[in-house]
Amino acid sequence: MRRRSFVVRALGIAILGAVVAAPMYAAGFGIFEQGTKATGMAGAFTAQADDPSALFYNAGGLAFVDKQAFSLGGTYIHATKADLKGADPYPGLGYHAEQKKLSAFPPHAYWVRPINNVWKIGVGIETPFGLTTEWQNPAEFAGRFLSTKASLRAFDVNPTIGWQVTPNFGIGVGAIARFSDVELVRYAGAVNPFTQSVVNIGKLDLKANFSEGYGWNIGILHKYNNSFSWGLSYRSKITVDYKGDATLASISTGNPVFDAILATKLPFNTKLPVKTAIDFPDMASLGLAFAVTPNVLVETDANRTGWSAFKQVNIDFTGGPTNSLPDTTIQQQWKDVYNYRLGVRWTTSPSAQWRFGYVYDQTPQVEQSVNPLLPDANRNGYSIGYGYTGGIKADFALMYLPFKERTRNKSFAGEGPFFGTYNTTAWLLGVTLTF
Amino acid sequence: MSRLRILAGALALALLLPLTAFAVDTGSADFTRYVAIGDSITAGFMSGGLSQVAQRNSYPFLIYRQATGKTTGFEQPLVSPPGIPAQLELRSLSPLVIAPKAGLGSPLNLNLARPYDNLAVPGANVHNVVATVTDNGGLHDLILRGQGTALQQAAFLHPTFATVWIGNNDALRAATSGRVIEGVTLTPTASFEADYRTIANTLAAVGAKLAFATIPDVTAIPFVTTISPFITLPSGQQVPLIGPNGLLTANDHVLLTAQAELAVGKGIPAALGGTGQPLSDAAVLDAGEAATITARINAYNAIIRTVANEKNAALVDVNAAFADAAVHGVPVGGLTFTPSFLTGGLFSYDGVHPTAFGYAYLANLFIAAIDDHYNASISPVNLLPFVFGTASASKGLFNPADIGMDDPSTATLTPEAINNLFWSLNVNIPAPKRPGHHHRH
Repeated sequence: MRRRSFVVRALGIAILGAVVAAPMYAAGFGIFEQGTKATGMAGAFTAQADDPSALFYNAGGLAFVDKQAFSLGGTYIHATKADLKGADPYPGLGYHAEQKKLSAFPPHAYWVRPINNVWKIGVGIETPFGLTTEWQNPAEFAGRFLSTKASLRAFDVNPTIGWQVTPNFGIGVGAIARFSDVELVRYAGAVNPFTQSVVNIGKLDLKANFSEGYGWNIGILHKYNNSFSWGLSYRSKITVDYKGDATLASISTGNPVFDAILATKLPFNTKLPVKTAIDFPDMASLGLAFAVTPNVLVETDANRTGWSAFKQVNIDFTGGPTNSLPDTTIQQQWKDVYNYRLGVRWTTSPSAQWRFGYVYDQTPQVEQSVNPLLPDANRNGYSIGYGYTGGIKADFALMYLPFKERTRNKSFAGEGPFFGTYNTTAWLLGVTLTF
Repeated sequence: MSRLRILAGALALALLLPLTAFAVDTGSADFTRYVAIGDSITAGFMSGGLSQVAQRNSYPFLIYRQATGKTTGFEQPLVSPPGIPAQLELRSLSPLVIAPKAGLGSPLNLNLARPYDNLAVPGANVHNVVATVTDNGGLHDLILRGQGTALQQAAFLHPTFATVWIGNNDALRAATSGRVIEGVTLTPTASFEADYRTIANTLAAVGAKLAFATIPDVTAIPFVTTISPFITLPSGQQVPLIGPNGLLTANDHVLLTAQAELAVGKGIPAALGGTGQPLSDAAVLDAGEAATITARINAYNAIIRTVANEKNAALVDVNAAFADAAVHGVPVGGLTFTPSFLTGGLFSYDGVHPTAFGYAYLANLFIAAIDDHYNASISPVNLLPFVFGTASASKGLFNPADIGMDDPSTATLTPEAINNLFWSLNVNIPAPKRPGHHHRH
């Protein structure tokens, strides 16, 4: 048992390594692109769910699997723009800062097989959440006392069972084990008594270790007739409790006496035990698919994500009076949101399929919580995909994701200004191979 | 006209546009002629001195700049560094030495042929504004230049807009001198109201739109709160200091000026190596005195609110903002400024007057209240340069090096520092030493 746990952890760390630096690209810090076929149709796939990625999009699709298949893929994400233009009173009109332009490759893998004509099983490995923001020139960035780097990595192991209730009605139920780690970096500042202005005195690097949380999912797929099907999918809320360490690395102010005073007040350069928790939202999807002609299918989906679960992030220093810093709370107070997807599937030959999609993705983030740690925005996504079916299946998808401009001009009560306008643009390139 | 000329014209226009101050929406307020009435805080007094290093970012100047988009045209009684009196500097942290900079500043704008737009006089109380013409070589003479009272000069300018933040000294003298003397260090409510109404009526009569500010609780400033009434022993035990009326309690305040007495063992029990002699009355603001001052400030503020309401003026509730800052600090971009002495970032080396950041923050309180009341859209002051101490250079207002400002990193109130401070606050307890005689020319 202990050995299996070790193997799971080792595997988990390896997968997390592959997910490094995923900029969030579904609203909030969700990642809805867990299969390239679906991505080609901008995620409008709940009423189709006809490849192994059904394990993520709609477990009901698993019920219709008639032969064993293994799918492996990933989505290459490349941010081409992520910057901030300041507003008064802080950091002020004329202020400009840029994030590092990050690239990432969150993977997905699925295995499905029928047991008999009625019961089917599968296991999915998905990366439905992830976030990285990292600001350039962190020691001078005006938001450095809020965040200079934030990284949240997560992947799900999702064993699922499918039940083909009738030849055209299927149900799937799965268990989700979510593995995640978090890193948050910011600077600490103080008023230098000699200059009466703010200087850096330390850099706080908080690392929450690889931790788990558990949940479940369910899906229904009903192929009403040859020209209409519908699907419903639900993935539950999952809370992951993390433990880890924070280190406050000292930065000299240039005055040895002031440095010495600070050193008596702050636990510099030592590991400070810390714990935190993140509430990942639940997600429900409804999809309707119409075959306009035998070769052209149109699907429309609506997803509801329960981001109101993401109220705040509490960072508790648990090292006692001598080995800790004051607890902090990062207010979030997000809202539940809907997003809308439209996908078209055009089968041009038995071996080739073109796909097109559009998604309007609404941000769950309230204006007051828009900050350098996570500047989210409404966005449009435009996708095109191509699928080839031969000895193996190969799917390709390209998505262009321009974010709407996001402006913050207000703060939560008791929090100070960090106002301005964020602009973000990303490209996604997906590839999935199915054997 | 040839196409080329049109192009050249358009290009010239495009080049000129960024240089032209674009119009600010001031709503129903008009900043064509803006005048500020007040005391040391309105004058831009900082670290015990009046120096252009701070005056050039005084809160009235910042309001003017934000409301007009201009950096010239608002005239102030600028003084060259190190100021009159010389501004204090922090010489060392351990031992903690705060002392005046060497030398004395001189007035730079003394020959202005009209009254200053910033008519605030350090040390002035509400009665000084309506009655004082000269103070025999003090700061009134530097600013009023024998041309009448501050209020007369303000009316003479026919301001379209005026801010009035006066009354701090009506209570501050009692706090900083440690002595509540009705009618001497603490202004009676009735005379406060009469003088305050005179100011409001006079300015309203010349057509000025107005903004009034309330008075913060001066018993919460670092000058009053920094020194504990207890000595904490290594064991954690707290031993009270000896005040003029016996052992101090947690609600008594030891003033920043008590450092000189504590340094020679006064107020410290003999068992702890002190003289066992009590601190002087001037070094201690006891609980009863503090409560009297706070109650009086509340009475002043009730008058200010009433007058502001009667004149349909904007009200800047500095009292509420400071009360909040005293508890929660002033948060900005992940930092929190506090009223703590030396390291809080809101109060300068005299423990009474704001830092550059504090003044910018005050300007934003005024701007928010003016925006709200006059349906204006004046932008708040950009705090970034004030947070990181690059205010002067980054905005091109003035460069510290150009005016001979000392390197700030070369900075216990020395007795001389205390004298300067009291002199500028019009506190008559210790005799002023010398700064007076320089400003008459």
